[in-house]
Amino acid sequence: MNRWLFGALLLWLAPVWASEAPRVAALSWEATEHLLMLDVTPLTVADADDYRAWVVRPTLPEGVPSAGARLEPNLELLAELRPDLIVIAPLLEDIRPLLERIAPVQVYQGFSQEHDNQQVQREAFLDLAHSLGREALAEQRLQAMDAELAQWREQLQAHYRERLPTVTVIRFSSPTAAFINGPNSMPQHALALLGLQPAMDLAPSPWGITQVPITVLGRVEEGVVLHIEPFAQQAQLFASPLWQAMPFVREQRFAAMPSTWTYGGVFSLQYLAEAIGGALLKLPSESGKAPQQSLE
Amino acid sequence: MTAVSAPSRHLLTLLALLPLALLHLWLAADLDPFELWAMLDSAEHGFAFLQLQLSALPRLSMALLTGAALGLSGSLLQQITQNRLVSPMTIGASSGAWLGLVLATLLVPTFAANHGQWAALVGALVAVGLVLLIAGRSGIGGLPLVLGGMAMNLLLGALAAGLVLINNQYTQGLFVWGAGDLAQIDWHWVQWLWPKLLLAVPLLILAPRPLSLLQIGGDAAQARGLALWPVMLVLFLAALWLCSVSITAVGLIGFIGLLTPNMAKMLGARTARDELFYSALLGALLLLGTDALALLANRVSGQLVPSGAAAALIGAPVLLWLARRHLAAEDPRGLQLPRGAERFSWRSALWVAALALLALTVALGLARGVDGWRLQWPSALVWSLRWPRVLTAAAAGAGLAISGLLLQRLLRNPLASPDILGLSAGATLAVMLALIVFGGAVFGSVAPLAAFVGSLAVLAVLMLLGRRHHYSPALMALLGISLGALLNAALQFVLAKGTGDSFALLGWLAGSTYRATPAQALWLAFGVLLFGALALLFQRALTLIGIGDGVAASRGLNVPRVRLALLVLVALLCALVTSLLGPVAFLGLLAPHIAVMLGARRVMPQLLLAASLGAVLMLLADWVGRTLIFPLQIPVGIVASVLCGGYFVFLLIRGRLT
Repeated sequence: MNRWLFGALLLWLAPVWASEAPRVAALSWEATEHLLMLDVTPLTVADADDYRAWVVRPTLPEGVPSAGARLEPNLELLAELRPDLIVIAPLLEDIRPLLERIAPVQVYQGFSQEHDNQQVQREAFLDLAHSLGREALAEQRLQAMDAELAQWREQLQAHYRERLPTVTVIRFSSPTAAFINGPNSMPQHALALLGLQPAMDLAPSPWGITQVPITVLGRVEEGVVLHIEPFAQQAQLFASPLWQAMPFVREQRFAAMPSTWTYGGVFSLQYLAEAIGGALLKLPSESGKAPQQSLE
Repeated sequence: MTAVSAPSRHLLTLLALLPLALLHLWLAADLDPFELWAMLDSAEHGFAFLQLQLSALPRLSMALLTGAALGLSGSLLQQITQNRLVSPMTIGASSGAWLGLVLATLLVPTFAANHGQWAALVGALVAVGLVLLIAGRSGIGGLPLVLGGMAMNLLLGALAAGLVLINNQYTQGLFVWGAGDLAQIDWHWVQWLWPKLLLAVPLLILAPRPLSLLQIGGDAAQARGLALWPVMLVLFLAALWLCSVSITAVGLIGFIGLLTPNMAKMLGARTARDELFYSALLGALLLLGTDALALLANRVSGQLVPSGAAAALIGAPVLLWLARRHLAAEDPRGLQLPRGAERFSWRSALWVAALALLALTVALGLARGVDGWRLQWPSALVWSLRWPRVLTAAAAGAGLAISGLLLQRLLRNPLASPDILGLSAGATLAVMLALIVFGGAVFGSVAPLAAFVGSLAVLAVLMLLGRRHHYSPALMALLGISLGALLNAALQFVLAKGTGDSFALLGWLAGSTYRATPAQALWLAFGVLLFGALALLFQRALTLIGIGDGVAASRGLNVPRVRLALLVLVALLCALVTSLLGPVAFLGLLAPHIAVMLGARRVMPQLLLAASLGAVLMLLADWVGRTLIFPLQIPVGIVASVLCGGYFVFLLIRGRLT
């Protein structure tokens, strides 16, 4: 019942907000990204400093204060800041009644294997734009992203002469283990948008990542492997003979891509595509063109 | 089993090692035996060959080396202390190493990436040193050493969890190490490790003589001209060195050091020399077997399953079984805390009242905001957000204090408390299972129910195991230790998966009042009051049981029935608190002790005073957690565990030194 009321209230308020700067508290990083892409500077952001360190883009202005942890945002601080709207991820669904005492709350789905993460983030962005009365800007930003993606696609096709390689994006967790970004992870969605196929078949998982022993990567017979920087022990791993013997290392089908947040909102796809595209363009054009390998 | 002679027993074990090694190679290199054979035959060296040469073979060597080192280290420790429950894990070395590495990773990341082993080593040595200090010379052979180790594990675990939670992005790579993974990418670690294990050779030659003298008895050894203590000290350090370098190389792998000497003994190793040799052999066999299991699980599930998790899954039940065999009799030597005032004076009462008032004022009125500190009565909105947390903290503190007091009186053991007996660990384990099964989305709603079921299940096990052994404190503490270790392994496993769910779990494990709703706070307060009142009804029974079962029975008390009723009461209290708050260590242990030290020696005053002290401590801990690193918050469970745990260790050491 309450939700309906708040929804009605939001619809009624929307035109008012369009005219002046809305006071929105973002308690998830996806929402922070989406707000910034709507040219709204959030009133406060959960784990703001970590956002600046890890998500980086779009840039969060220095003055925006932290609202506490994403898992346990500081309620008393929120109450003091008096936002008009609080945007949360489902992780905070159970404290929603508390947050609703402070301001109306909107919840947007996070990462799950139940739905298409890319689609969900896109819808969340449009919905947020709608409630802030900035649909036109939102459409404009999405079109800009699509244009950018199309450009990368063309560049890649020009570079690889229309025989694109299969690609897998990984992140090292230790010299002996790595996370592979599998189905429904944002990197894989970015690959798909670039017209690239995955180099490994993985089972879906809630966050789209699967941790495997490093030797499993040896099974990538064809295809390109990209790793997300930074990795503190990379000197040790890259110097080892086993690593040197991995087919994709020996045949120079391996490259680093700059640190990019992989659990972001819809625009993280653009940053990921940039990082992936940039890394792929540096590789020789005959890298990894072949049908994909299975992990069985 | 004992019919086999020593040489043939060793030979048989060696023979068993061979097929196991082949199986391990097959699983690690991802090749079946025929392919393996064909590969050795052919001249062509592809990636698969290198994988065999640089990953599978080093992993095999690593399993054998560390298994043998841990087995030998455990056997040495057990023979020196004459204590069958001692191992690197149970005396705090592992958690010390873990905290050392976490600290190093946070403070000096580049150093930790390359030389983390030294941080781990220092951590392990410091932790074990403290545990030895706590147990004292007379306690080394008995339960005090193990209980001291358990306390140290809880304290260091809480510290490490807090650090990881506050710096959640930076510690990712640690989790794989923490979960104990034997995976190798070259011979680097094997080459690092084996020279450091050469120490085992002189040990195996020289140690048996003093150890067998020790078996006869310390006095007899002294009579034969052996300077006992220096020799024992050197052997002890050697054992710690062996386990520290192994932990550094492969991470936290528990239980091997504990199980192998016991198994060696059961399989007929009688002399000191035989036990040392056979433990090393068995250790290698056991770790190879568990690692093969981990590899198999890895292959079936398609994701990384750390070897340490597999070891804990096998080890925890075996430890319980061992405990039933070895510790049936009551161990009278408990840890002694310093005694305090003879009676509760008015001055102490005034102090406590003043402290309570101060705590309440601070908890409700003093807070940090956008523009710094301020002391004021909260606005209606802030009040509605703040009072449920304050009430939850206070009620939980009182509840934990009451349950701790009941357990201490019932089991006549000053170290009994819900966290030491595994009730909290059981609840937490159930929550973790719920997280794995249901995922993070419904976590908030499922967690309380799971915690409730978990601690009731542990109580049922305690009842089943305990009845036969008259609820021996040692047995109950061991259940706590097994569950705690199992919990830790499961936790490391979930953390190593590295998803967002990991941190949701870590947050809950830390014990927070954050998610307490007004209704929950009121229910908790009501429940604690109700159970506290019930406990007061058992005043006379508690006094009598505290003196002895015989005395209680002779006064017409149905001891088994009363004991059962009170234990159920304790489990209910613990489940109530844990389900809302998550585990909070040490508070239930400490509050009753402080009450005694202030002079409240009879049941009723001790219970009332302990409950109020528990409430005050939790109020302060919650306030510190809310304000210390504003706007971030430290969960109250961690603050309380670290504060109370630190004070507890301080008390124990001070009691030992005076």
